[in-house]
Amino acid sequence: MISQQMKNETTIKLPISFILYSLIAFVFSQVFLLFAADDMINGVFRTPAIWSAAHLLILGWALMVAMGAMYQLVPVAFLTPIWSERFGFFQFGISLVGVTSFAISLWFFPTFMAYTGAIAVLGILLFLFQMLMTLRKQAKKNILTLFVGSALVCLLATITLGIFLTININFGISGIDHLAILKTHILMGITGWFTLLIFGFSYKMVPMFALAHGFSMNLGKWVYVNYLAGLLVTILSFIIENTVIFQIGLLLLFVGFTLFTYHIYLIIKSRLKKKLDKPFVFSLLSILFGLLLHLFGFLLSLFPGHYSLFGLLIYVYLFSWIVFSIIGYLYKIVPFLWWTHRYSKVIGKSNVPTLKQMINDRLSNPIFTFFIIGVAGIVGGSLLKNINLFYISQLLIIVAVLVFAIVIINVVRK
Amino acid sequence: MNLEERIYDQLRQVIDPELNINVVDLGLIYEVSISENQEVIITMTLTTPGCPLHDSITSGVKYAISHLEGVKDVEVLLVWHPAWSPERMTPEGMRQLRG
Repeated sequence: MISQQMKNETTIKLPISFILYSLIAFVFSQVFLLFAADDMINGVFRTPAIWSAAHLLILGWALMVAMGAMYQLVPVAFLTPIWSERFGFFQFGISLVGVTSFAISLWFFPTFMAYTGAIAVLGILLFLFQMLMTLRKQAKKNILTLFVGSALVCLLATITLGIFLTININFGISGIDHLAILKTHILMGITGWFTLLIFGFSYKMVPMFALAHGFSMNLGKWVYVNYLAGLLVTILSFIIENTVIFQIGLLLLFVGFTLFTYHIYLIIKSRLKKKLDKPFVFSLLSILFGLLLHLFGFLLSLFPGHYSLFGLLIYVYLFSWIVFSIIGYLYKIVPFLWWTHRYSKVIGKSNVPTLKQMINDRLSNPIFTFFIIGVAGIVGGSLLKNINLFYISQLLIIVAVLVFAIVIINVVRK
Repeated sequence: MNLEERIYDQLRQVIDPELNINVVDLGLIYEVSISENQEVIITMTLTTPGCPLHDSITSGVKYAISHLEGVKDVEVLLVWHPAWSPERMTPEGMRQLRG
């Protein structure tokens, strides 16, 4: 028998700080979208209000929560402690100031966006440095390292391209194709960074939460190869402006996502825990949404006359794949963090609650239902140009976000 | 009840908070060895390497045993080889898991 003694005690303050901030950003991003209803239903996405809401949702909610979750999950998944917790708090402060001021300046003070964007970028660069220093200490690299490492590279590419975009808007750079850079920025941000990251951590969390056993990880490398090839081919199509290459790129992304879905299905099939928690089922459901959206994306690429619908597709992709996945996993991550903080020292000494008892999961069904109906209503309102449907749906989403935030905050009061 | 039985009895109080099953029924305890000078070594594993409850469960195991009469010292050895498998679970643990 080989013994391994190591200390990877989760530091709760850092991940919780990120998660609490992200909840506030989530609420505001959805309130901001209410003010962009006209632009949304008219398919005009490049407006200050939508930019602001989108960046608050993507950077303030999804990126901040992803960073917070990584401060907890990286030591768990990679058996490697975080390089410097103190540096993590410094990075949190810079990111908080940068993301908040950037989202506000996009809407209200566009002349400042290059400066506020620079602070946000600095926060993200500090995070990348923290992860680089942490992952390089990992003794035994695996397929998860590949997914998460590639996601981090995509994040670096996304913000580098974002810098080019803001400098070009503010000062003008000669000889660059603004639209190609914008498309690559979006692709690298939502599929490169978030999707690869969720793939990577799903490979750790799905078997853990379902207690799956005896499955093979071989399919993982084919998921990686197809998805990465899809990303590169799609970027190439933006640069050379070739529709056929674009279609091949989206087909490869769809194939990669299909393989991932099938792989997760095999893992779930080999599970020992027959009854899965509802929020975790929601995370699994979001994989099916992601699969359908990749299929729609590929099918839409075959009809160049309808490319304006990609804006709406990106919105649905962000919500029903990325945001839904994160929400489902947060239902597991936050109770664990708080349980560790409150009860890890008394396990074996006195009765301690289970992780499931730490969070009110009876509200999960209504929350998830509101989210799904809300997103469907936004799509319907946008396609039918019905502003009332849009408003009602957006209000449903805001209610769901608020209740979700209260459920999460209540965990830390236990 | 001899000391080993009392140790196993006590270990049943240590519950995996994610699965709500105790570490004995989960089959996490590989070996309990008791030396002549009443030092106990618990060799155990977890269901997955890098389980986030790693520190909590091992310290819970240590505490649960340390105050037993006849135990002078406790050491918990966490091992990954051989890896945990469902065959190590007791019928009761399996029943609880399948709910």
